[in-house]
Amino acid sequence: MRQVIRAWACLAVTALLAGGMASAQSQAPSVGHNEVLIRNGTILTVTHGTIKNGSVYIKDGKIAAVGANVTAPPSAKVIDATGKFVMPGIIDAHSHIALRDDINEATSPVTPHMMMLDAFDYTDRNIYYTLAGGVTTSLLLHGSANMVGGQSIVIKHKYGLGRDQLLFPSAPRSIKFASGENPKRVYGSRQQLPSTRMGNFAVQRQALAEAQDYMREWEQYDAKVKGGDKDAKPPKRDLKLEALADLMRGKMFVHNHCYRADEFLTEIAMAKEFGYTLRSFEHALEAYKVADQIAAAGIGISTFADWWGYKEEAWDAIPWNAVIAMRHGVNVAIKSDSDDFARRLNQEAAKTIRYGGATEDEALKMVTLNAAWNVGVQDRVGSLDVGKDADITIWNAHPLSIYALVDMVLIDGDVFFDRSLPGLGTPYYKEGQ
Amino acid sequence: MKRALGLALALMVATGSAAGQKSAKPAAAPGAIVLRGGRILTVSHGVIENGAVVMENGKITAVGAAGSVAVPKGAQIVDVRGMTVYPGLIDSESRLGLTEISAEQMTNDYIEPSDEIFPHLHVWEAFHAESQLIPVTRVNGITNAIVAAGETDTLPGQSSFIQLEGQSAKDMLLVRDIALPLNFTGEQRRNDSWEKAKFPFTRMGVAAQLRQAFIDARDYQQKWADYEKKKAEPQKEEKNKDDKKDEKKGPPTPPKRDLKLEALVPYLDGKKPIVLAAEEPGDIETALELAKEFNLRVILNHVEHANKLLDMIAASKLPVIIGPIYARPKEGERYDSVYRMPAELQKRGVKLAFASYDAHQSRNLPYAAGYAVAFGLPYDEALKAITLNAAEIWGLGDQLGSLDVGKTANVVVATGDPLDPKTDVKQVYIQGRAVSMETRQTRLRDQYMK
Repeated sequence: MRQVIRAWACLAVTALLAGGMASAQSQAPSVGHNEVLIRNGTILTVTHGTIKNGSVYIKDGKIAAVGANVTAPPSAKVIDATGKFVMPGIIDAHSHIALRDDINEATSPVTPHMMMLDAFDYTDRNIYYTLAGGVTTSLLLHGSANMVGGQSIVIKHKYGLGRDQLLFPSAPRSIKFASGENPKRVYGSRQQLPSTRMGNFAVQRQALAEAQDYMREWEQYDAKVKGGDKDAKPPKRDLKLEALADLMRGKMFVHNHCYRADEFLTEIAMAKEFGYTLRSFEHALEAYKVADQIAAAGIGISTFADWWGYKEEAWDAIPWNAVIAMRHGVNVAIKSDSDDFARRLNQEAAKTIRYGGATEDEALKMVTLNAAWNVGVQDRVGSLDVGKDADITIWNAHPLSIYALVDMVLIDGDVFFDRSLPGLGTPYYKEGQ
Repeated sequence: MKRALGLALALMVATGSAAGQKSAKPAAAPGAIVLRGGRILTVSHGVIENGAVVMENGKITAVGAAGSVAVPKGAQIVDVRGMTVYPGLIDSESRLGLTEISAEQMTNDYIEPSDEIFPHLHVWEAFHAESQLIPVTRVNGITNAIVAAGETDTLPGQSSFIQLEGQSAKDMLLVRDIALPLNFTGEQRRNDSWEKAKFPFTRMGVAAQLRQAFIDARDYQQKWADYEKKKAEPQKEEKNKDDKKDEKKGPPTPPKRDLKLEALVPYLDGKKPIVLAAEEPGDIETALELAKEFNLRVILNHVEHANKLLDMIAASKLPVIIGPIYARPKEGERYDSVYRMPAELQKRGVKLAFASYDAHQSRNLPYAAGYAVAFGLPYDEALKAITLNAAEIWGLGDQLGSLDVGKTANVVVATGDPLDPKTDVKQVYIQGRAVSMETRQTRLRDQYMK
């Protein structure tokens, strides 16, 4: 029964933050130390190997140096990581936490004007639980009831701070699409279009076609204004079509909930037909069947380590999916889509070692840099490299071990979780918030 | 008298309990196999580096240092150097064989939503031996499981103990009616809305309904006892009582049979355990009082948020199947309050077992135990909780759960620590037979991996 509920939770879609959002996201002030030195740890950089007995120097919330011989001014706050493992913060590329369960506007199959930000609850305890599991960034997506869902937000797990401080600065806008059983079930049960996969794609194509017309109307209007026509009347604004127009103008991209091999190919063709960017396939449990074609299209996947069988289109899921797709050149992330799994994505990643023989670095990448790429924040987070945000997780053992505990989590150089602290271990959290 | 009565009832209950308590003999007895050179986790008597396990006729016949164990004539010797060998794992609650595709209702047989009290349902009557989920689970080293009905009914039906290999359900159902779940987590309330309200609408209602069911079962038992007594009495007394009424003569009429009440009798008599699921302090206490009231034999299940009752649970001496360790804490609790619970209970001497509470993810059972180790449960105790403790809690401690001479040869060979997800299971033996490591999933993998 719980699994069925989870399957419904997968009914999620991403929020596209309208124009102003990107700038609103960049207001987060620094809350703590300007300079931090994490020293004497085993540094798992993800991009350039493991540094035994290495250090990370953080200045103004960014990684300023990583290596075996890193120096820092005496004023820097020192975190001794002797015997510990230091890695980039985990990124959950598919989450529905902190949305007050308002993830499916299941009243119409096309709702690109839904904003996850409007449902965002920055006080949700799941942000803290996930933080304590080493996660520093999550992509919060719309559900998958709709072929064209809503617009995502990307958050940093700065639990205890205010709403805008949790929003990931400059994260790209994205929208969630969904194909397959979920829209079929929701609308099919109401004897409404779409009840079939044919219906699904027809609805999606119709919405995009209407948005193309809408774009043309605006282009014609803009041309008139440019030509000096003072009487030109602007077309009526339509938030739905505006969102899809932005998609086709390249101002955002799509996270496409999709399970079956045939549907990946149809969605790839659809993206080509309408000229928008498909960034990732969500779930993508049959990616292993057409991995070369997904790779050729430059699309990532955010998949489960080993979930299967919770619905018909998850019946061919195999736990080797992630590694097979990776070997074909697909950018593969292991995501949670679950409040529980989000707290131990490290273990989910570890399963790719067992199922398919991923290396430790490859496994770590699936919950850090690869996930960052699917979200579109790979230039900011996902590895321990100079210039990146100081989003760092410190473990008491190798993070791919089942016995590893998160000791400390830093975001933008500030400690947001410390297992040694009393209470919840979150320095910025105030009771009664 | 009472005993004879119980017997009579047991016979009636029976299709279930009498038939097939033990597995039928496999088609052909497996030959002798010696696993030699591996790291042997016996569970009961420590770790043997460079050890050997001998399996003959479905049983373990020797365990010891590789050099000291005698190799039976004609035995197949399997070199397991570098491997870890351990007893088959036991999932103390799963839905294996009761579901295939979760969202496809027609493939689900684990819950009767029409009512709450179903002690006369038997999961073995729905158990689907050909389920594709079973091979997927067993190749991860799980060789045995409790198959239980869903949680939304108060008494959802009797559980079975299975082995994850066999030609048919008959082979696989080791104990058909092993226990009766009693769920008291709050999920059993029919409280969707005021409009659809149906008794029991509250926890009080659930408790009252249960109490009534047990009282009715006691009455029913008494009625049969009276009947049996009357039947056993010599008929001659009837004669001098009244000679004008001939109809009084002859055997007494048996009470009308009621399968529901009949099914509860062995549990009221303490012959089999009630698996009492309650997650939170108030529920656990209420349910335990109810169990005490009717003198039920209890295995605590689903314990998740019992931080305030740890000592009380320890004092009760009841075994505990730990609720999903991954459950999130209650408001105000630290992130690790549920993760730590196994360690806290074990520290107080509670006998623990783990369960997947799942079908598709039953294969991930060992990782729950591993995670408990991260949060303070000693390693040996964690391993026990998915082997020997489970076997003992379910009354099969003499047959399963450790690598000991005389036990069923359910043995796993893996690349390393069974509790770590990086470990690959290489071979599983069930009743001394190497089972197929092929599954629907490996076939798909091989088809596309190339």
